[in-house]
Amino acid sequence: MSLESSKILGETLHGAGNALDGYFSIKVGADTFGLPVTQVQAIFRIGAVTSAPGGPPDIVGLVNLRGKIVTAVSLRRRLGLGPEPGGKPEGAGSMAIGVEHRNEAFALLVDEVGDVLTLTAETAIAPPPHIGRRRAKFASGYNRIGGQILPLLNIDAVFDFAEDR
Amino acid sequence: MDEMLKEFLAESAEQIEAASAQIVEFERNPADAALIASIFRLVHTIKGTCGFLGLNRLQKLTHAAESLIGQLREGAKATPDVVSAILAAVDRVKRMLAELEEAGQEVAGDDSDLITRLEHYVALCQGAVPEETPVEQGPGAVADAHEPAAAEATQGKRAETIRINLNTLERIMQLVSELVLTRNQLIELARHKDDESLKSPLQRLSTMTSDLQDAVMRARMQPVERVFANLPRMIRDLANDLHKKINLITEGADTELDRQLIDLIRDPLTHLVRNCADHGIETPEERLRVGKPATGTVRVAAAHEAGQITIEISDDGRGLNLAKIKEKALARGLTTPQQLAQMSDEDVSRFIFAPGFSTADQVTNVSGRGVGMDVVRENIQAIGGSCALTSKPGQGSRFTLKIPLTLAIAPALIVEASGQRFALPQHSVVEAVGLNGGEHKIECVQGSKILQLRDEVLPIGSLAELLRLPVPAERAGAPEPLAVIMRVGAQSFGITVDAVIDVQEIVVKPLGGSISHLTTFSGHTILGDGSVVLILDPNGVCRSLGLEQSRESHAASVENLPTAPSDKTRLVHFRAGSGVDKVLPLSSIARIETVNAARIEYSSGMMLMRHQGRLMPIVAAAPDVTVREGDNTVFVISPHGEPFGLLVDSIVDIVEHRLDVEIGGEAPGVIGAADIGGKVVELVDIAYFIDLLQMPQERPRDRKSRLLLVDDAAFFRDMLSSTLQAAGFDVVKAGTAAQALGHVAQDPHFDAILIDVDLPDGSGFQLAARLREAGARAEMIALAPYATRDVSRNADAAGMAGAVGKFQRNQMLDLIRACIERGREGTPEESFRGVAA
Repeated sequence: MSLESSKILGETLHGAGNALDGYFSIKVGADTFGLPVTQVQAIFRIGAVTSAPGGPPDIVGLVNLRGKIVTAVSLRRRLGLGPEPGGKPEGAGSMAIGVEHRNEAFALLVDEVGDVLTLTAETAIAPPPHIGRRRAKFASGYNRIGGQILPLLNIDAVFDFAEDR
Repeated sequence: MDEMLKEFLAESAEQIEAASAQIVEFERNPADAALIASIFRLVHTIKGTCGFLGLNRLQKLTHAAESLIGQLREGAKATPDVVSAILAAVDRVKRMLAELEEAGQEVAGDDSDLITRLEHYVALCQGAVPEETPVEQGPGAVADAHEPAAAEATQGKRAETIRINLNTLERIMQLVSELVLTRNQLIELARHKDDESLKSPLQRLSTMTSDLQDAVMRARMQPVERVFANLPRMIRDLANDLHKKINLITEGADTELDRQLIDLIRDPLTHLVRNCADHGIETPEERLRVGKPATGTVRVAAAHEAGQITIEISDDGRGLNLAKIKEKALARGLTTPQQLAQMSDEDVSRFIFAPGFSTADQVTNVSGRGVGMDVVRENIQAIGGSCALTSKPGQGSRFTLKIPLTLAIAPALIVEASGQRFALPQHSVVEAVGLNGGEHKIECVQGSKILQLRDEVLPIGSLAELLRLPVPAERAGAPEPLAVIMRVGAQSFGITVDAVIDVQEIVVKPLGGSISHLTTFSGHTILGDGSVVLILDPNGVCRSLGLEQSRESHAASVENLPTAPSDKTRLVHFRAGSGVDKVLPLSSIARIETVNAARIEYSSGMMLMRHQGRLMPIVAAAPDVTVREGDNTVFVISPHGEPFGLLVDSIVDIVEHRLDVEIGGEAPGVIGAADIGGKVVELVDIAYFIDLLQMPQERPRDRKSRLLLVDDAAFFRDMLSSTLQAAGFDVVKAGTAAQALGHVAQDPHFDAILIDVDLPDGSGFQLAARLREAGARAEMIALAPYATRDVSRNADAAGMAGAVGKFQRNQMLDLIRACIERGREGTPEESFRGVAA
């Protein structure tokens, strides 16, 4: 049958080691964000998506993740980026990060999940002043690591759709 | 055995059971005040009931024990001797209860030993007897000897009632819900298999699951008495406040209802009873004057009726004051005198359910603040119930609530619209009607769709349009073949869908916060095949059809337009077609554009123009308005941010005028005729044009790729098509080469074609060539159980794009996407077809 179940790629990912200050680098388009390891419940490829007609446009739909219904949100659309260069539609098969926010289970669709980075107080920097307001609200802080600027994803802003209604 | 005695035994056994841990703890920690109090209560309760039932022996013993525990409670020291005496007494009580159970009456016996011992310690605690006086008979000897027997006997009794933690019960319910889902999933799987050995255990599993579901449901049931219990007090207080005499009768308090529902009906029920007492029942003087007894009666009756609970709340008061309701309805602009004249009393009484409606002259703290009946009805409907009202002037009124037994699991129709499935709770579904037979037809009346069904005229809407679902290109314009007739409260209506797929028991799960504001949906669930579907909320659907609002929106227009002479509207007076001149409120027009004919493009019979960087559809304001050489006038109308153009012939004037609309426009797109300055004009209905454009408007953004799937095995057809649909494709299925050719002959525009190499009427490779001859230009993919080298070679030779195994889902999807990409690059006008259409 077409039990296109969502496939778990990783879960309870790392030992206690550096989990506390560990951050996933997640990529969408040309952007890379940091996301605390502790916030991530699972990384998986999503299966069939049921669209939610009338819902916020950034919500791709609903996904069955092992018997639990999760809300799939496109980070790409959330950030106002265009569709993927290849024109591949977001949906079944997309890479997703399982995040729980205000008692709602979300799947955040991203292009890629990269390495776990360790961030410290020393790597943190002040927000660059020229970031547009629309984009700035999705960053909760900035770090400089390996010569690159890494914004940290502001989960609260990503999953707050109050403005989109 | 006496019922009362049985109950006492069950209750006591339960209490002792519950207290046993405390008794054990008491032994270790005899100074704990809370423990002492708890054991005191236990013994006290048993003592009280024993006296009532005439169980003298038990009563004497418990009395003695109670006295001693009472001393501890007062602060006496709990010495080990005292503790063991109390424990011995508890054990003795247990044993006696067991004997009582067995014999059905109190067994004769002598407890004076223990009683003396207990009394001794009481005296000791009070300081009356010197400490050293020994009354001991070997500490706990008697009790110890009988202990085993007592324990066994109590065990024999336990099964009748137990207390369960609510969370445990909820957890069980949840698990059963999941079990139902899994069962459904298995049934779905088995449907595609011809395995007899599987069928019978599955059948058994299915029956057992249903039984289990039933049993658990019953465990959650509680008598409605819980809600009825606070009514007498409320009625008494109300009667005092209002200086009325009211008698409350409750019936069927033992009717059982899911505990979750009990909590949910509490407020609506209380409100209705309060309403009866406040609005319904007259003052004693008034009642006597009209020849009724001074005391009014409010009756609340619950009954179990065909899988539903019916609760009737009635009074023998004055009934609804229809005249007052009419007056209020008019004053609030809910209706017009003409409409009122045609309404039945029942229709009029229904106004009390309108938001904020109240006929009470004075605002009391009881009622009359106008928050109420609409909320009552909404709350009842929210749990899948209904609320009806009958009233006879001078004789009283009666509210009838119908409530489902449970909320957690509900049967639902699974319907499909635009390729997406939705669950429709069965409680609101009346019937499904096929529309293809020609017997029932959907007609358009003044821009609204209606269905004539037998004697009824029902408002109807397309589910796909209502939800603004993208319509697959090949289906554009094709009417949906099925109408599902629903009823919400007194309102019947229909929605059209593509198919009713199944009836399933669904487990309702609440929507997540990010989409919980969507009123069209009440929740979501997982179907047997693992897919997620949204559950439609019949109330929300009804509302989004514009049914509930119809009266109020009319009210709004009544308020805005004809009432006062100062109420003038700025109108654009224009010509469109050969009929009379037309008007539109200026406020509804975003811009008026002069557009050269060259700027208007045509695509599949639709006019388009570029407007602010986007393609905007244009419709003619009347059927006989056409684009002329040179400049044309287009009104840009932007109802919800999605603008469209309305093509008109010419603007006559912009006037400020009172608009008196006589309802009765015959032509589609016209609300009605009006008189401005002695000239008759028609008011144009924008909603009609929005309706007209809705489907094509949605299409360009979401065109799906369209695939043709040819496979003779139903199993693979179903499996693959659902896989492909899940991946975002539209799939047309064919079981034979002939069917495939038929599909291509009908419409050759596929984005990719998947062909099983083994078909009953010829090989798939041959079919590929024949399809191409028939006009199919899409890339083709060979399907085989396994993509062996032979298959790939043959596919190559047949000019197909590739071959793939039927179970290699990911490779298949990749190959299809690659084919579609190539197809788009190769024939740009081809892939644009769907966008422009």
